Amino acid sequence: MREVFRLPDVGEGIAQAEIVEYLVNVGDSVKADQNVVRIETDKAVVELPSPFAGTVAEIPHEPGDTVNVGDALLVIETEAKAAEEKTEQREKPATEKPEKPEKRPAERPRAVEKTEKPTAEAPPAETAPAERVMATPHTRRLARELGVDINIVKGSGPHGRITDEDVRQAVSRVPSAPPKAPTAAAVQAPATAGFDFEKYGPTRRVPLKGVRKRIAEVMARSVSTIPHVAHFDEADVTELLQVVARERSLAESRGIKLTILSFLAKAAAAGLKKHPMVNSSLDEETGELVFKDYINIGIATDTEAGLMVPVVRDVDRKSILEIAADLQELSKKARDRTIDLEDLRGGTFTITNVGAIGGTWATPIILHPQVAILASMRATKRPVVRDDHVVVRTMMPLTLSFDHRVLDGADSGRFINHVKELLEDPLRMLVDVA
Amino acid sequence: MKEESNKDLIQVMDPDGRIVDKSALKAIKESDMLEMYRLMNFTRLWNSKALSLQRQGRMGTLASVRGQEASNVGMGLALGPEDWFCPSFREYGAMFARGIRPEELYRYWGGDERGARPLEGSRVMPVCITVGSHLLHAAGIAWGAKIRGERIAVMSSSGDGSTSQGDFHEALNFAGVFKLPVVFAIQNNHWAISVPVEKQTASETLAEKACAYGIRGARVDGNDIIAVYSTVKKLLDVARSDYRPALVELVTYRMDDHTTADDASRYRTKEMLAPWQGKDPIDRLRKYLSAEHGWDDQKEKGLIEELTAEVEQCVKEYEGAPHPPPEQIFEHTYAELPWHLREEREELLQQVGDAEK
Repeated sequence: MREVFRLPDVGEGIAQAEIVEYLVNVGDSVKADQNVVRIETDKAVVELPSPFAGTVAEIPHEPGDTVNVGDALLVIETEAKAAEEKTEQREKPATEKPEKPEKRPAERPRAVEKTEKPTAEAPPAETAPAERVMATPHTRRLARELGVDINIVKGSGPHGRITDEDVRQAVSRVPSAPPKAPTAAAVQAPATAGFDFEKYGPTRRVPLKGVRKRIAEVMARSVSTIPHVAHFDEADVTELLQVVARERSLAESRGIKLTILSFLAKAAAAGLKKHPMVNSSLDEETGELVFKDYINIGIATDTEAGLMVPVVRDVDRKSILEIAADLQELSKKARDRTIDLEDLRGGTFTITNVGAIGGTWATPIILHPQVAILASMRATKRPVVRDDHVVVRTMMPLTLSFDHRVLDGADSGRFINHVKELLEDPLRMLVDVA
Repeated sequence: MKEESNKDLIQVMDPDGRIVDKSALKAIKESDMLEMYRLMNFTRLWNSKALSLQRQGRMGTLASVRGQEASNVGMGLALGPEDWFCPSFREYGAMFARGIRPEELYRYWGGDERGARPLEGSRVMPVCITVGSHLLHAAGIAWGAKIRGERIAVMSSSGDGSTSQGDFHEALNFAGVFKLPVVFAIQNNHWAISVPVEKQTASETLAEKACAYGIRGARVDGNDIIAVYSTVKKLLDVARSDYRPALVELVTYRMDDHTTADDASRYRTKEMLAPWQGKDPIDRLRKYLSAEHGWDDQKEKGLIEELTAEVEQCVKEYEGAPHPPPEQIFEHTYAELPWHLREEREELLQQVGDAEK
């Protein structure tokens, strides 16, 4: 019987080897475990012993040839009796199914194999087998995140292993089917790679993790995807502040802290209702605008872990006190980290009240996939002109950052004008806002 | 190349099989020596067959023990019946001496985790690949035994490379402070993969490190099985009866590659290997047995044939056993699999399922 000695993986994960020298010739008789060929892998030069006793029938390669794991190294004519024993031994395991070695990744590669195979069996190892692609869990996750089908990525790593870089390149090569929101950080090599911070003085390294890491990812994605425009305006909140001061005790009697933020949310909700584009999203995959029949406003909240954006639901259907109560509860939960993930999701618009801390102007970054974010700055008394007279009023600067793919300056202007009107004339809110 | 230090080296038999210290022979019977000889030969044959299987694609990998059979078998036989042994991964001879079944070690190196199951009653811990971590296990077992008032000893075995690990320091210091019944055997085979022992430590010997921990140190010709056996046995006896820990350096040599995935010729010259060719531990004992106990070619041939058949039987049992279920690789590390491993497991099972269709 003819037996084929195939190149085994002799080095914990080699794919191929070079034939250095055959230690036998055709016609030589060989004993089992006698060294028959010397090969060189990328790890070592090793001599391989024959698994069979018999006569060398065929030497399919020459020194210098490169052979892949699974390729024939030597064909040996064995005595039938010996071959039978071998067969018996191999067929013993009860769990073994009819041999289809090329398709069984779970089994170690078989170096020993008979040549006499029924033709109906699996194709020979030489035809490229449909293998499971090789990639680490990290790379697989990256592919999932970037929306890349890992099965079609060509691996450049050892033995065709797919690297992170391969996945990223696959992203940039498929313009017809843009992946879901590739991040700037993911598409390019990190700009700080190889940067020698220590050169200029001692440093300290703290891993970016948790909320901070999430913020970094989300912000980088937003800025790299969305063409931002910032629209500045300011609202005269003198009267509104009087209303807030007057109603504060009512709110307190219900255990609610009333601030200007609840009014701002209500006014924004009214603006969103009137200008549904500002409440929409762009589905980048299908190129469609998604209009939402609900208004959920995220409120950027400063916590010890970093910025969190809890979402007040259905702002358009809540009273100002209800909004204030929601805000109070959500921001407390965000600060002591008891907030549900659900309360951080589903926002259609965001307000960031940077003014609570300070500042006159800011250009906030949109929370992708929303299309706008409103920043309210610190309200201060300023000289302004009313009826040709300079008077002192409390002015609150506002910035609306918007996605210029979806909205234009005119849309933004109209939206802000509406919000501003309501803020400047609280009675209007009573009359005009549902 | 540095001249090999002979400092404080305990030797009973020189490389030509001549006895240099007769007193050590008193406690050893002829039958003990024949058992040593048999086990060393079995270990070598088992080892060379495993290398052959690996080169034929029938075994995952192997860390060859050729050249270290005397250190292996000597320390294994020195252990008392109730003693514990914590091996690393190049102690087959010692494990065989403790009753570990050789086909189980084939399974282990063949990638079947079931081969790592500890043998009930053997008091041998599973193979420890993590360098040096098991010295702490040994110290811990010894401490437990001391607290319970058991009169047993514990021995670990590790390589010269392990002496550079933090675990080595912790284990020896702990053993010294708490006076534990433990012996740390170091098989100084001169190589930690490609790092030579000269680069491993600035100490002249590994045994002298014991001094720093306030424990006993001994340095033995590790290719002299009589010296290994008698020295280790004495140290274990003292550890057991007096709670006195010890460090014993067995000076030997790794004659093969680190593992089958290594190629020692890339960092080790023939000149380095040459002095050790003449110090083979098996040749040495054979010379002595031939000179003193009538060992002859016929007996030799008979023994080798018998042991070769035993090894072949091990191969049959190893290769004949049903393969482990592929999902076995996911077992035994996590009580609950993390998501990425669950995903891999499902993917694997699906592919196996597809392949079987």
